[in-house]
Amino acid sequence: MSNYKLPISKINQLFKNKELKPSELYAETFERAAITESIIHGHLELFQEENLKKALNSDKRYEKGKNLGTLDGIPIAIKDNINISGYATTCSSKMLSNYISPYDATVITRLKNEGALFTGKTNLDEFAMGSSTENSAFGPTKNPWDSSRVPGGSSGGSAAVVSAGSAIASLGSDTGGSIRQPASFCGVVGFKPTYGTVSRFGLVAFASSLDQIGPITNHVEDARLIFNSMKGHDPRDATSLIESKAKQPKLKNAKIGIIKELMEDGISEDAKKEVHKVAKLLEAEGHEIIEVSLPLTKMSISIYYLIAPAECSANLSRFDGVRYGNRVSGSTSSEMMELTRANGFGPEVKKRILLGTYALSAGYYDAYYGQALKARAMMKKEFTDIYEDVDYLISPTTPSDPFKFGEKSDNQLEMYMSDLCTIPANLVGMPAISIPTGLSSQGLPLSVQIMSPSNTDNTLLDFSESLESLVAFTEEPVINGVVS
Amino acid sequence: MADKIDIKNVAKLASIKLNQEEEDRLKNDLSMIIEHFDALSKMDLPDDKISIHPLGMSLNLAEDIASKSLTHKEALSNAPESKDGQFVVPPSLD
Repeated sequence: MSNYKLPISKINQLFKNKELKPSELYAETFERAAITESIIHGHLELFQEENLKKALNSDKRYEKGKNLGTLDGIPIAIKDNINISGYATTCSSKMLSNYISPYDATVITRLKNEGALFTGKTNLDEFAMGSSTENSAFGPTKNPWDSSRVPGGSSGGSAAVVSAGSAIASLGSDTGGSIRQPASFCGVVGFKPTYGTVSRFGLVAFASSLDQIGPITNHVEDARLIFNSMKGHDPRDATSLIESKAKQPKLKNAKIGIIKELMEDGISEDAKKEVHKVAKLLEAEGHEIIEVSLPLTKMSISIYYLIAPAECSANLSRFDGVRYGNRVSGSTSSEMMELTRANGFGPEVKKRILLGTYALSAGYYDAYYGQALKARAMMKKEFTDIYEDVDYLISPTTPSDPFKFGEKSDNQLEMYMSDLCTIPANLVGMPAISIPTGLSSQGLPLSVQIMSPSNTDNTLLDFSESLESLVAFTEEPVINGVVS
Repeated sequence: MADKIDIKNVAKLASIKLNQEEEDRLKNDLSMIIEHFDALSKMDLPDDKISIHPLGMSLNLAEDIASKSLTHKEALSNAPESKDGQFVVPPSLD
């Protein structure tokens, strides 16, 4: 196995045993990026020169046996909606093409404290709105498994660079599946923690009651390591949770529910097969598999596409050409703002802002946004009740394997449906992980999603690690036949 | 309900200037999405429970104590236009 596909704990051991230096791994990562980036365009910016000194400092710490943590010297890519002081944070938008962050997001501060190195900033759908990176103002990212196909989104760049080996791990953000769906499309692990366990301070807000930062990795144990390095209360995020104790699901002889509504129409045979395959493996290990019904999951797309645009219309009102971002001149402040926003936002972002504005406007609020909040409460109850009976829930991560560029971009509802299986976890706040389990009939990656009650993240990760070893998925992409 | 979208008014509320082509396309796109919401908007749901926070928690507000923050210079570092330590904007009235 190449160094860039090794588990982080193993790399850390090589560093400690002086069999590999952080600066050597760093150089190797950028050699890999030099080959893969021209094909996949996962990074918007690479930090090679700037961080070389930091890699050499990491070498010295290991030489003295004084490494900062397990992540010391590990090259991690960061989604370009997370602020790193001194670097651009564009959100893949023309609006922020010149924005240089004057501060670090809390997750960045915490990873820096562990000694992590950053490879650069990764591509996304503009302001994290999309499922394919086709909405990036700086061009799409290609799927490492097949460059005619999308890597998923919105964290498509973060998933593609881990899959392609130009970063050991990455950070993404997940509002309706934006970590898990691209992780599934690129054949890597994607973890969305419980809402509030990881600080959102320094993440450019899309929909504040849904957004959550999480890791995209090659191995479940890497996701656990990065999650535990980032988590914990942050006074700068009012929605950050103060750790609370929750009843943990069982690791042995667990009861696992397959969500009936996520195995019906609109889900490909390949995706269903993968869930059944995993269920059989789990059953053979002594777990009990049952079918469960959560009727409101069928409504999740409607609930999400009312709540997320409503929140985005408020959050993105800050981009008005006054304090940061690009400006288009106007004779009055309001004309300047209207022209700036017309010029700076792309088509999908404009659509979602308008949709949210409409849903919140007088006369429609109760029928749409108010109704969505009520349905969300009912959905939350459905999940709380089901977890009285089961330890985990399982579903496909995505309805199908990765689709081709342009295949869904003209059909907005079909594009939105690609997040059908991932949205419920955001609406009810629970943790969810996507684990690659096999290849489709077209040789493209497929995954299953495992969910558990809120505040049981580490138990979910432990359970997922045992599932990962049962599945033993070891396939890697051959990028356009060029890189093996 | 969807055919009644006053796209000019919605764009005005959102402070986004749209051209004719965008108005036509967005009116059509939004109508289609809103039609999809019909089933949800017709559901009979109890009025007493709504979910704003996914875990139903209240916000943890920070203590009101001064702490290190951006400097004045840093806060202005990305301003499209600034003068004498302040953001500059065009006049509010014609």
